[in-house]
Amino acid sequence: MSDMSENWSEEVLLAQIAEALEAADAIPHDFVEAGKATFAWRTIDSELAELAFDSDLQDHQDLIRSEPAPLRALTFTAPRAAVTIEIEVVDGALLGQLVPEQAGEIHIVTRTGHDTSAVIDEVGYFLISPMPVAPFRIHCQTASGVNMSTNWITL
Amino acid sequence: MPVDPRVIVLVIRAREGDQDAWDELIERYAPMIWSIGRRYRMDRPDIDDVAQTVWLRLVESLADLHDPGAVGSWLATTTKHECFRTVKARRRQDSMEQTLDFDMTADEQATMVEQELETAERNAILRAAFAKLPPTCQRILLLRIEGISYEEIGARLDLPIGSLGPKRGRCLAKLRDDPALNALILAEIGAPGNE
Repeated sequence: MSDMSENWSEEVLLAQIAEALEAADAIPHDFVEAGKATFAWRTIDSELAELAFDSDLQDHQDLIRSEPAPLRALTFTAPRAAVTIEIEVVDGALLGQLVPEQAGEIHIVTRTGHDTSAVIDEVGYFLISPMPVAPFRIHCQTASGVNMSTNWITL
Repeated sequence: MPVDPRVIVLVIRAREGDQDAWDELIERYAPMIWSIGRRYRMDRPDIDDVAQTVWLRLVESLADLHDPGAVGSWLATTTKHECFRTVKARRRQDSMEQTLDFDMTADEQATMVEQELETAERNAILRAAFAKLPPTCQRILLLRIEGISYEEIGARLDLPIGSLGPKRGRCLAKLRDDPALNALILAEIGAPGNE
Protein backbone atom coordinates (compact mmCIF):
# COMPACT_ATOMS: atom_id res chain seq x y z
CA MET A 1 0.00 0.00 0.00
CA SER A 2 2.74 2.41 0.93
CA ASP A 3 4.28 2.20 -2.55
CA MET A 4 1.58 4.39 -3.98
CA SER A 5 1.88 6.89 -1.17
CA GLU A 6 5.47 7.68 -2.02
CA ASN A 7 4.06 10.40 -4.22
CA TRP A 8 3.83 12.59 -1.16
CA SER A 9 7.43 13.34 -0.32
CA GLU A 10 8.60 13.53 3.28
CA GLU A 11 8.52 17.32 3.07
CA VAL A 12 4.96 17.38 1.78
CA LEU A 13 3.77 14.83 4.31
CA LEU A 14 5.37 16.62 7.26
CA ALA A 15 4.09 19.99 6.06
CA GLN A 16 0.57 18.57 5.89
CA ILE A 17 0.88 17.12 9.38
CA ALA A 18 2.16 20.44 10.68
CA GLU A 19 -0.74 22.27 9.09
CA ALA A 20 -3.29 19.82 10.52
CA LEU A 21 -1.85 20.09 14.03
CA GLU A 22 -1.74 23.88 13.82
CA ALA A 23 -5.36 24.04 12.65
CA ALA A 24 -6.45 22.21 15.80
CA ASP A 25 -4.21 24.29 18.06
CA ALA A 26 -5.58 27.52 16.63
CA ILE A 27 -9.05 26.85 18.07
CA PRO A 28 -9.70 28.03 21.65
CA HIS A 29 -9.77 25.11 24.05
CA ASP A 30 -13.06 26.21 25.64
CA PHE A 31 -14.71 26.38 22.22
CA VAL A 32 -14.05 22.68 21.76
CA GLU A 33 -15.00 21.84 25.35
CA ALA A 34 -18.35 23.63 25.01
CA GLY A 35 -19.09 21.44 22.00
CA LYS A 36 -18.28 18.29 23.94
CA ALA A 37 -20.58 19.41 26.77
CA THR A 38 -23.60 19.61 24.46
CA PHE A 39 -23.73 15.82 24.44
CA ALA A 40 -25.33 16.02 27.89
CA TRP A 41 -28.49 17.33 26.19
CA ARG A 42 -28.87 13.97 24.52
CA THR A 43 -30.17 12.48 27.73
CA ILE A 44 -32.68 15.25 28.26
CA ASP A 45 -35.69 13.72 26.67
CA SER A 46 -37.28 16.92 25.48
CA GLU A 47 -38.27 18.21 22.11
CA LEU A 48 -36.17 21.01 20.70
CA ALA A 49 -38.44 23.96 19.99
CA GLU A 50 -37.78 25.80 16.76
CA LEU A 51 -37.47 29.56 16.60
CA ALA A 52 -40.59 30.63 14.72
CA PHE A 53 -40.47 34.39 15.14
CA ASP A 54 -37.79 36.90 16.04
CA SER A 55 -38.66 40.59 16.21
CA ASP A 56 -35.07 41.41 15.24
CA LEU A 57 -35.48 39.56 11.99
CA GLN A 58 -38.74 41.21 11.00
CA ASP A 59 -38.79 43.46 8.00
CA HIS A 60 -38.79 47.15 8.72
CA GLN A 61 -42.33 47.50 7.45
CA ASP A 62 -43.54 45.20 10.17
CA LEU A 63 -41.71 47.19 12.79
CA ILE A 64 -43.64 50.33 12.01
CA ARG A 65 -46.65 49.89 14.18
CA SER A 66 -48.80 51.98 16.39
CA GLU A 67 -48.15 50.15 19.65
CA PRO A 68 -44.78 50.45 21.34
CA ALA A 69 -42.88 47.32 20.39
CA PRO A 70 -41.15 45.25 23.05
CA LEU A 71 -37.34 45.34 23.03
CA ARG A 72 -37.26 41.85 21.69
CA ALA A 73 -39.90 39.22 21.17
CA LEU A 74 -39.24 35.62 20.28
CA THR A 75 -41.54 32.71 19.58
CA PHE A 76 -40.56 29.06 19.65
CA THR A 77 -42.69 26.19 18.51
CA ALA A 78 -42.43 22.51 19.27
CA PRO A 79 -44.40 20.80 16.49
CA ARG A 80 -44.60 17.39 18.12
CA ALA A 81 -45.92 18.78 21.40
CA ALA A 82 -48.01 21.34 19.46
CA VAL A 83 -46.96 24.04 21.88
CA THR A 84 -45.68 27.55 21.32
CA ILE A 85 -43.63 29.52 23.78
CA GLU A 86 -43.51 33.29 23.45
CA ILE A 87 -41.02 35.41 25.33
CA GLU A 88 -40.35 39.12 25.48
CA VAL A 89 -38.14 41.45 27.41
CA VAL A 90 -40.18 43.77 29.62
CA ASP A 91 -38.65 46.15 32.15
CA GLY A 92 -35.52 44.12 32.60
CA ALA A 93 -37.43 40.91 33.13
CA LEU A 94 -38.28 38.01 30.89
CA LEU A 95 -42.00 37.55 30.40
CA GLY A 96 -43.29 34.47 28.69
CA GLN A 97 -46.39 32.55 27.83
CA LEU A 98 -47.13 29.02 26.81
CA VAL A 99 -49.79 28.53 24.14
CA PRO A 100 -52.13 26.71 24.53
CA GLU A 101 -52.27 27.86 28.12
CA GLN A 102 -51.26 25.33 30.72
CA ALA A 103 -49.48 25.20 34.06
CA GLY A 104 -46.02 23.82 34.61
CA GLU A 105 -42.47 24.64 35.48
CA ILE A 106 -39.83 26.53 33.53
CA HIS A 107 -36.06 26.27 33.83
CA ILE A 108 -33.60 28.80 32.54
CA VAL A 109 -30.18 27.26 32.07
CA THR A 110 -27.17 29.43 31.31
CA ARG A 111 -24.10 28.19 29.53
CA THR A 112 -22.23 27.87 32.78
CA GLY A 113 -24.92 25.48 33.92
CA HIS A 114 -26.66 27.89 36.29
CA ASP A 115 -30.31 26.87 36.57
CA THR A 116 -33.17 29.20 37.57
CA SER A 117 -36.69 27.88 37.78
CA ALA A 118 -40.08 29.59 37.83
CA VAL A 119 -43.69 28.53 37.92
CA ILE A 120 -45.83 28.63 34.81
CA ASP A 121 -49.27 29.69 36.02
CA GLU A 122 -52.58 28.16 34.93
CA VAL A 123 -52.92 30.58 32.01
CA GLY A 124 -49.44 29.75 30.80
CA TYR A 125 -47.59 32.85 32.01
CA PHE A 126 -44.17 32.92 33.61
CA LEU A 127 -41.85 35.71 34.66
CA ILE A 128 -38.09 35.52 35.19
CA SER A 129 -36.78 38.57 37.00
CA PRO A 130 -34.13 39.79 36.72
CA MET A 131 -33.39 38.83 33.14
CA PRO A 132 -31.22 35.75 32.92
CA VAL A 133 -27.68 36.23 31.70
CA ALA A 134 -27.50 35.42 28.02
CA PRO A 135 -27.01 33.08 26.39
CA PHE A 136 -29.51 30.79 28.04
CA ARG A 137 -31.88 28.01 27.16
CA ILE A 138 -35.44 27.52 28.25
CA HIS A 139 -36.59 24.11 29.29
CA CYS A 140 -40.22 23.66 30.18
CA GLN A 141 -42.31 20.85 31.49
CA THR A 142 -46.04 20.90 32.06
CA ALA A 143 -48.53 18.75 33.89
CA SER A 144 -50.04 17.73 30.56
CA GLY A 145 -46.74 16.17 29.51
CA VAL A 146 -45.10 18.88 27.43
CA ASN A 147 -41.33 18.60 27.65
CA MET A 148 -39.40 20.97 25.44
CA SER A 149 -36.22 23.01 25.25
CA THR A 150 -35.15 25.93 23.16
CA ASN A 151 -31.80 26.51 21.59
CA TRP A 152 -29.43 29.03 23.12
CA ILE A 153 -31.07 32.41 23.25
CA THR A 154 -29.12 35.64 23.02
CA LEU A 155 -31.15 38.78 23.57
CA MET B 1 -12.74 13.10 -1.31
CA PRO B 2 -13.58 9.57 -0.13
CA VAL B 3 -15.53 9.19 3.11
CA ASP B 4 -13.31 8.36 6.06
CA PRO B 5 -14.94 5.22 7.53
CA ARG B 6 -13.93 6.53 10.95
CA VAL B 7 -16.69 9.12 10.68
CA ILE B 8 -19.34 6.44 10.24
CA VAL B 9 -18.03 4.57 13.27
CA LEU B 10 -18.09 7.77 15.35
CA VAL B 11 -21.67 8.63 14.42
CA ILE B 12 -22.90 5.13 15.16
CA ARG B 13 -21.10 5.06 18.51
CA ALA B 14 -22.35 8.54 19.42
CA ARG B 15 -25.88 7.40 18.60
CA GLU B 16 -25.46 4.72 21.21
CA GLY B 17 -24.46 7.33 23.76
CA ASP B 18 -20.67 7.09 23.55
CA GLN B 19 -19.25 10.39 24.82
CA ASP B 20 -15.73 9.62 23.55
CA ALA B 21 -17.06 9.21 20.02
CA TRP B 22 -18.95 12.48 20.37
CA ASP B 23 -15.81 14.22 21.62
CA GLU B 24 -13.89 12.96 18.62
CA LEU B 25 -16.58 14.29 16.28
CA ILE B 26 -16.31 17.68 18.00
CA GLU B 27 -12.52 17.70 17.70
CA ARG B 28 -12.81 16.76 14.07
CA TYR B 29 -15.32 19.42 13.07
CA ALA B 30 -14.95 22.26 15.60
CA PRO B 31 -12.12 23.81 13.53
CA MET B 32 -14.44 23.82 10.53
CA ILE B 33 -17.24 25.62 12.37
CA TRP B 34 -14.69 28.07 13.73
CA SER B 35 -13.24 28.76 10.27
CA ILE B 36 -16.61 29.12 8.59
CA GLY B 37 -17.65 31.57 11.32
CA ARG B 38 -14.48 33.55 10.73
CA ARG B 39 -15.12 33.57 6.99
CA TYR B 40 -18.50 35.13 7.79
CA ARG B 41 -16.52 37.72 9.79
CA MET B 42 -18.31 36.87 13.00
CA ASP B 43 -16.86 37.64 16.41
CA ARG B 44 -16.31 35.10 19.14
CA PRO B 45 -19.71 35.33 20.91
CA ASP B 46 -21.54 34.89 17.61
CA ILE B 47 -19.37 31.95 16.63
CA ASP B 48 -20.02 30.41 20.05
CA ASP B 49 -23.77 30.74 19.49
CA VAL B 50 -23.59 29.25 16.04
CA ALA B 51 -21.47 26.35 17.27
CA GLN B 52 -23.82 25.61 20.16
CA THR B 53 -26.82 25.62 17.88
CA VAL B 54 -25.09 23.37 15.37
CA TRP B 55 -23.93 20.87 18.01
CA LEU B 56 -27.37 20.76 19.61
CA ARG B 57 -28.94 20.14 16.22
CA LEU B 58 -26.50 17.29 15.75
CA VAL B 59 -27.33 15.84 19.17
CA GLU B 60 -30.99 15.96 18.16
CA SER B 61 -30.40 14.59 14.68
CA LEU B 62 -27.90 11.80 15.41
CA ALA B 63 -30.56 9.13 15.36
CA ASP B 64 -32.13 10.40 12.14
CA LEU B 65 -29.01 11.05 10.09
CA HIS B 66 -29.76 9.17 6.92
CA ASP B 67 -26.12 8.83 5.90
CA PRO B 68 -23.68 8.81 8.87
CA GLY B 69 -20.74 9.24 6.51
CA ALA B 70 -22.16 12.57 5.40
CA VAL B 71 -22.20 14.05 8.89
CA GLY B 72 -19.45 16.50 7.92
CA SER B 73 -21.47 17.75 5.01
CA TRP B 74 -24.55 17.99 7.22
CA LEU B 75 -22.58 20.01 9.78
CA ALA B 76 -21.13 22.30 7.10
CA THR B 77 -24.57 23.05 5.68
CA THR B 78 -26.09 23.61 9.11
CA THR B 79 -23.20 25.90 10.06
CA LYS B 80 -23.58 27.90 6.87
CA HIS B 81 -27.28 28.29 7.51
CA GLU B 82 -26.78 29.41 11.12
CA CYS B 83 -23.96 31.81 10.20
CA PHE B 84 -26.09 33.37 7.52
CA ARG B 85 -28.97 33.80 9.97
CA THR B 86 -26.69 35.39 12.55
CA VAL B 87 -25.06 37.71 10.04
CA LYS B 88 -28.51 38.76 8.82
CA ALA B 89 -29.67 39.51 12.35
CA ARG B 90 -26.51 41.52 13.07
CA ARG B 91 -26.91 43.43 9.86
CA ARG B 92 -30.37 44.56 10.90
CA GLN B 93 -29.16 45.57 14.34
CA ASP B 94 -26.17 47.50 13.03
CA SER B 95 -27.65 48.89 9.86
CA MET B 96 -27.70 52.43 11.23
CA GLU B 97 -24.01 52.43 12.07
CA GLN B 98 -22.34 50.55 9.32
CA THR B 99 -22.91 48.80 6.08
CA LEU B 100 -22.29 45.11 6.01
CA ASP B 101 -18.76 44.14 5.13
CA PHE B 102 -19.81 40.63 4.21
CA ASP B 103 -20.59 40.33 0.56
CA MET B 104 -20.04 36.79 -0.67
CA THR B 105 -22.48 35.50 -3.22
CA ALA B 106 -24.45 32.34 -2.49
CA ASP B 107 -22.16 30.41 -4.83
CA GLU B 108 -19.05 31.77 -3.16
CA GLN B 109 -20.45 30.81 0.24
CA ALA B 110 -21.20 27.28 -0.94
CA THR B 111 -17.70 26.89 -2.36
CA MET B 112 -16.09 28.33 0.76
CA VAL B 113 -18.04 25.98 3.04
CA GLU B 114 -17.15 23.01 0.84
CA GLN B 115 -13.47 23.92 1.04
CA GLU B 116 -13.61 24.30 4.80
CA LEU B 117 -15.24 20.88 5.07
CA GLU B 118 -12.58 19.29 2.91
CA THR B 119 -9.83 20.93 4.97
CA ALA B 120 -11.43 19.69 8.20
CA GLU B 121 -11.72 16.13 6.89
CA ARG B 122 -8.18 15.97 5.60
CA ASN B 123 -6.71 17.58 8.72
CA ALA B 124 -8.62 15.12 10.91
CA ILE B 125 -7.22 12.20 8.91
CA LEU B 126 -3.69 13.60 9.18
CA ARG B 127 -3.98 14.23 12.93
CA ALA B 128 -5.48 10.81 13.58
CA ALA B 129 -2.71 9.07 11.63
CA PHE B 130 -0.10 11.08 13.49
CA ALA B 131 -1.70 10.38 16.87
CA LYS B 132 -1.47 6.63 16.23
CA LEU B 133 2.32 6.77 15.91
CA PRO B 134 4.45 5.69 18.86
CA PRO B 135 5.51 8.65 21.06
CA THR B 136 9.14 8.51 19.89
CA CYS B 137 8.02 8.72 16.26
CA GLN B 138 5.82 11.69 17.07
CA ARG B 139 8.70 13.47 18.78
CA ILE B 140 11.14 12.82 15.97
CA LEU B 141 8.71 14.00 13.30
CA LEU B 142 7.68 17.09 15.29
CA LEU B 143 11.33 18.07 15.65
CA ARG B 144 11.83 17.48 11.92
CA ILE B 145 8.84 19.74 11.25
CA GLU B 146 10.54 22.40 13.32
CA GLY B 147 13.60 21.98 11.14
CA ILE B 148 15.81 20.64 13.93
CA SER B 149 18.97 18.86 12.79
CA TYR B 150 19.54 15.15 13.40
CA GLU B 151 22.43 15.99 15.73
CA GLU B 152 20.14 18.13 17.84
CA ILE B 153 17.27 15.59 17.76
CA GLY B 154 19.70 12.88 18.81
CA ALA B 155 20.89 14.99 21.70
CA ARG B 156 17.40 15.98 22.82
CA LEU B 157 15.91 12.50 22.66
CA ASP B 158 19.10 10.80 23.81
CA LEU B 159 19.23 8.61 20.69
CA PRO B 160 22.31 7.71 18.63
CA ILE B 161 22.42 9.90 15.52
CA GLY B 162 23.01 6.91 13.27
CA SER B 163 19.68 5.40 14.31
CA LEU B 164 17.66 8.50 13.53
CA GLY B 165 17.63 8.24 9.76
CA PRO B 166 16.25 4.69 9.63
CA LYS B 167 13.95 5.38 12.58
CA ARG B 168 12.52 8.42 10.84
CA GLY B 169 12.02 6.35 7.70
CA ARG B 170 10.07 3.72 9.63
CA CYS B 171 7.96 6.42 11.28
CA LEU B 172 7.07 7.90 7.90
CA ALA B 173 6.28 4.48 6.51
CA LYS B 174 3.95 3.82 9.43
CA LEU B 175 2.27 7.14 8.83
CA ARG B 176 1.75 6.37 5.15
CA ASP B 177 0.39 2.94 5.99
CA ASP B 178 -2.51 4.43 7.89
CA PRO B 179 -5.49 3.33 5.76
CA ALA B 180 -7.34 6.65 5.94
CA LEU B 181 -4.24 8.68 5.15
CA ASN B 182 -3.36 6.28 2.38
CA ALA B 183 -6.81 6.71 0.86
CA LEU B 184 -6.44 10.47 1.13
CA ILE B 185 -3.09 10.50 -0.61
CA LEU B 186 -4.37 8.18 -3.34
CA ALA B 187 -7.37 10.40 -3.90
CA GLU B 188 -5.18 13.49 -4.15
CA ILE B 189 -2.61 12.10 -6.53
CA GLY B 190 -5.57 10.78 -8.50
CA ALA B 191 -3.69 7.78 -9.83
CA PRO B 192 -5.11 4.47 -8.63
CA GLY B 193 -2.81 1.62 -9.56
CA ASN B 194 0.12 3.95 -10.12
CA GLU B 195 3.38 2.28 -9.08
